[in-house]
Amino acid sequence: MSNTEMFKDRNISEDYFLLDIEDYPTTPWEKFKRVVKRSFKGELFVGLWVVLREMIKFDIHTIQYPEEKLPIGPRYRAVHEMKRLWESGTERCIGCGLCEKICISNCIRMETRYDENQRKEVGEYSINLGRCIFCGYCAEVCPELAITHGGEYENASEQREHFILYEDMLTPIDDVLNKKQREFQGFGAITPHEDERLKKTPLAY
Amino acid sequence: MMIRFTIDNIPVEAKKGETILEVARRYGIYIPTMCYISKTTPCASCRLCSVEVKDVDGFVLSCNTPPTEGIEVTTESARLHEERVNIMKLYDVNHPLECGVCDKSGECDLQNKTLEFDVDRQDFSAKDQFRPVKHWNLIDYDPALCILCEKCVHVCNEVIGDDAIEIMMGGYKSTIVPKNSETLDCTFCGECIAVCPVGALVSSGFKYRANAWELSRIPATCVHCSAACPLEYEVRHTGLNGDKAIFRVKNNFEYATLCGAGRFGYDFEVRESNGEDALTKAVDALTKADAIRFSSLITNEEALILQRLKEKTGVRLINEDARLFKVFEEAFSSASGKRFYTAELEDVKNSDAIIVLGTQIATDNPGVRYAMTVASKQNGAKISYFHPIEDDLLQNVVTQFVKMEAGTEEGVVALLAKELLAKTNAPEDIQSFFADLDEGYLEAESNVGEEEFKLMQRQFRRAKKKTLIAGADLFAHPRAKNIATMLGLIEKYSEYKVLLVPKEINTLGVSLICDLDEESKNDSFIVGYNARGDFTISSLHADADLFVPALNQQEGTFTSIDKRVVPTNVALEYEGVCLNDIVKAFGISKEYTVDFTDELVQRDESFEALSFDTLENFLSEVGEDVRGYKLKNRDVSVNFTLEDIEDLPEFNGTVVYHADPVLQFNAYTARTTELPKENFLRGSAQFATAAKIKDGDKVVVDLGDIRIERLFKIEEKLKGTVAINPTFDIELSPNRYRFEKSKIERVQS
Repeated sequence: MSNTEMFKDRNISEDYFLLDIEDYPTTPWEKFKRVVKRSFKGELFVGLWVVLREMIKFDIHTIQYPEEKLPIGPRYRAVHEMKRLWESGTERCIGCGLCEKICISNCIRMETRYDENQRKEVGEYSINLGRCIFCGYCAEVCPELAITHGGEYENASEQREHFILYEDMLTPIDDVLNKKQREFQGFGAITPHEDERLKKTPLAY
Repeated sequence: MMIRFTIDNIPVEAKKGETILEVARRYGIYIPTMCYISKTTPCASCRLCSVEVKDVDGFVLSCNTPPTEGIEVTTESARLHEERVNIMKLYDVNHPLECGVCDKSGECDLQNKTLEFDVDRQDFSAKDQFRPVKHWNLIDYDPALCILCEKCVHVCNEVIGDDAIEIMMGGYKSTIVPKNSETLDCTFCGECIAVCPVGALVSSGFKYRANAWELSRIPATCVHCSAACPLEYEVRHTGLNGDKAIFRVKNNFEYATLCGAGRFGYDFEVRESNGEDALTKAVDALTKADAIRFSSLITNEEALILQRLKEKTGVRLINEDARLFKVFEEAFSSASGKRFYTAELEDVKNSDAIIVLGTQIATDNPGVRYAMTVASKQNGAKISYFHPIEDDLLQNVVTQFVKMEAGTEEGVVALLAKELLAKTNAPEDIQSFFADLDEGYLEAESNVGEEEFKLMQRQFRRAKKKTLIAGADLFAHPRAKNIATMLGLIEKYSEYKVLLVPKEINTLGVSLICDLDEESKNDSFIVGYNARGDFTISSLHADADLFVPALNQQEGTFTSIDKRVVPTNVALEYEGVCLNDIVKAFGISKEYTVDFTDELVQRDESFEALSFDTLENFLSEVGEDVRGYKLKNRDVSVNFTLEDIEDLPEFNGTVVYHADPVLQFNAYTARTTELPKENFLRGSAQFATAAKIKDGDKVVVDLGDIRIERLFKIEEKLKGTVAINPTFDIELSPNRYRFEKSKIERVQS
C-alpha cells in the first residue's frame, strides 16, 4: 500500500498550478444567469476575430490533406512492406512461416513449394489488412528483415479483397535497383553496430 | 539375475543384455545421444553418449556397453561436457545455415543439441564442397545436411530388410549412397526419412510445403493392412483459404515401423459431396435390400451397426473375406483349443525360427515382414519360406526357400504337421493319422520332400522361440478347413506359436462382430458398403451412389493382427453422412459412431466393455504398445475331425497369382497421389514363352468368369510359370483361391 503512495502526489515540479475555476452553478436561477452572461458577453466574436486575423495574415499552418501530407516517422507501423535484397533484387522472404505462426490476429497465410532451382519458393503470400492490428510481431520475428512495416497509412478501399495484395506490399524491382528501397528503422530492425558484433568463421584450411 | 550398479549415485538394476544407456533411459536419467535408435543395434557413431565409470580410464560408450556388477557411472562432468561440446562443434562445421527453410527445423536433433550445448560459433574449419541434392523418387537426399549418424543405414538393413543404402566412406566427403545401384532401388518405406535426425533425407512430396510447427498431429492407425501400425497424420490448411489436408504421415520411429503405403499413401479422403436425395435413396435401398455386401475396410463400430441392421431388418450380410477367415479360424481353434492364434508381431520379432506359409508376406503385410527382418538381423533367426513364387524382397532374411507347387498347400501343411508333431505329446490317433499319409504322393505333387524338412530341422536345431506364419492363400483354399485343423494341431502340440495373417485392416474384427452369410444367387438387390452393389454406399468408389467418410475421416477402432483393438481418429473432417446417420431411419443409430465401441462385447466376449474415449493411442516411452486393449484369448472345446487328403490339385499352364505390388493394397492406396500405381501383370521370361507374349504386350487374363486387361511386364527376378496379377485396382472376390489357371490372350493394339 505504502509504495503506491508516491503516485498520488501529482506535483512533480514547482511550475504546476491549479486552474482557478469558479464553482459550478447549483440552482436553476444561477444556471440561467450564467447562460445570459455568456450569451451577451461577446466571447463568440473573440474567436471569430482570431480566425479572421489569421486569414488576412496568410500564414496558415493547417496541412491541406490530402493534397499535402506530413512525413511519417521512420518507426511508424503502417501497411507492411515486403523487401528485396539490395544486390540481386530477389525477394528476401524465404518462406519460413514464422510470421504466419506468430501473428496474433491470424491474418497472415502463405503457401510454399520446392521450385526448379531447388529453393523454397513462396507461391502465395497474403496479409489480411482488414484484420491486422499492426502489432509488429511479424516484422520483429522475421529472420531476413523481409517483412517490415512501412509508412503507407491510407488503406481505405471499397472491397475487402484489396486489403491482401502481396504485389502492393513488395518493393518494386526498379526501386531496389535504383537504391530507393528504405530499410525500416522500427520494431524488428537490426540494432546499430551489428556489423562489429559479427564473428567470422575461420577459413584456415 | 539382475545386475546392480549406480548411475549418478542412483542405484539401478539391469537385465541381462541391457546396455547402460537402456537402463538409464528406463530410470529416466538423461544421457544425450545423436545416433542412437532403440529399434536397431547401436550405430555408435556419435560418441555423445560417453559416460565415465569409476576406476576406468577414458570414456565408456553407454549405448553399446553392458554394465557389470557394482560399477559407478557418472553421466555428467566437466570433462564429459567439454567432450560433448566438441562433438557438437564438429557436427556443426559447415552445416548449412538454412534452418529458416529446412523441413526439419523445429524438430531437428542437431538444432536441439546445438542449442543444448550452446554452440554459437564455429571454431573449426573445413573446405566446403559442392554436394548436389539427390532425387531418389519419393525420397530426396541432401548430402550437405547429412551428419552421417548412420541411423538410416541401420534401419534399412536391420528393420526393413531392403538393405538399399550404405555409407560411402571418404572422411569428410562421406555420404549415403544407394547400395550396388545408381539410384535408390527399394520398397520406399520411407523409414530412413523418419529416423533422419536432420533434414538430409526428406519426403520429396512434402519438401518445403509446410513447417513442423504449423502442422497439427492426429494420432491414428494405418488402414492399409492388418498390421494396424500406429501413425500420426499431420494436418494443415492448404493455400490461402483452402480446406485442411493431410500434409504428411509420421510415426514413433524409435519403436514402431511404417511401410511406404502408410507413409506416403495418406490422401485417400473423400472430397465428393452427395446429392440432395442420396440419403433418402440409400435408406430406400437398404429397406428393400436382400443383402449388404461389404468389405473389411471398415471400423469395428461400423461392423456392429451393420450387424444391428441385420438383427432389425433381417438383411443378409456378405463379406467373403471375413467369412472365410472366420471359417478358417473356427476350424483352427477347434483343434488348438484356444479362441485365437497365439502369436503376435512381438513374438515374430523375438523368434529364432520362423516358418512362413501361404502368403507373399512382404507385400501382403509389411508389418510381419519387418518383424521377420528384426528376428533375422537381431536374433539371427532362421526363416523357412514355403511358397510357389520366390520373393526377391525376402532374399536378405529367408534362409531356406522351399518352392512348392501351387494348390498343394494341404499336402505341404500335412507333411509339415507330421514333421513338427513327431516327438511331441500329440495323442496316438493324431500321430497315426499323419503316419498313414501317402507321403510319396504328397511329396511328388507338392515338390516338398524329406530333404527340405531335414534341412529345415537342421537349421532350427538350436532355436528356442519358434513361430509359424500362415497367410491368405490358405483362407480361400478349397480345403481351408482341413488346413486350419492341421495348423491348430501344430499350435496345440508343437512348440510353434502360430500367427494367422488377416488380409485387410479389420478382417479379424468383422469376423468377430458380424454373423456373415454366404453369397447367394437369390439376392436380387444388394447394397454395397465399401464394396460394389446394386446401390453402392462407399468411400472407396469414385462413382458411389452415396459417399461416406474414408477411414482417415472417421473415428473408431480396428482389430489388428495382434488381436488388439486399436483406436483411430479423425484427421480430416467430413461434411456428409456416415453409416450412423444412414441407419437413423431404422432406429439403431446413436449420437456418435464411437458410442458403439463399448457394445462390441455384446457380440463377442473377447472384447471389453470400454468406451472409445478411454482407449489410449500411443506407444509408451520404452516402446510398449499401449494402444486400445488386447482381445482376451480363452479356451474353447476341442472338437475336430481330420479329413483324409485325397488328390492334390494340379496347376499347369499359365497360372496367375493374385498379389499386389509393393506399396499397393486397396482402392485407398490406388487413389493416393504419391504412391506408384503399377498394375502390370508381372511374369518371368519363362511365363512369357509359355503364354506366347512379349514384354510390354497388352494382354487379357481370362479367368473363366472374368477377364482382366493388363500390360505384361517381364520381371527378371521372377522364375517359373506363375505370373503375378495385382488386385488393388480391380474388385476381385476374396473367395477366389489366389492361384488361378488362366488363359492369356494378347490384344492387338
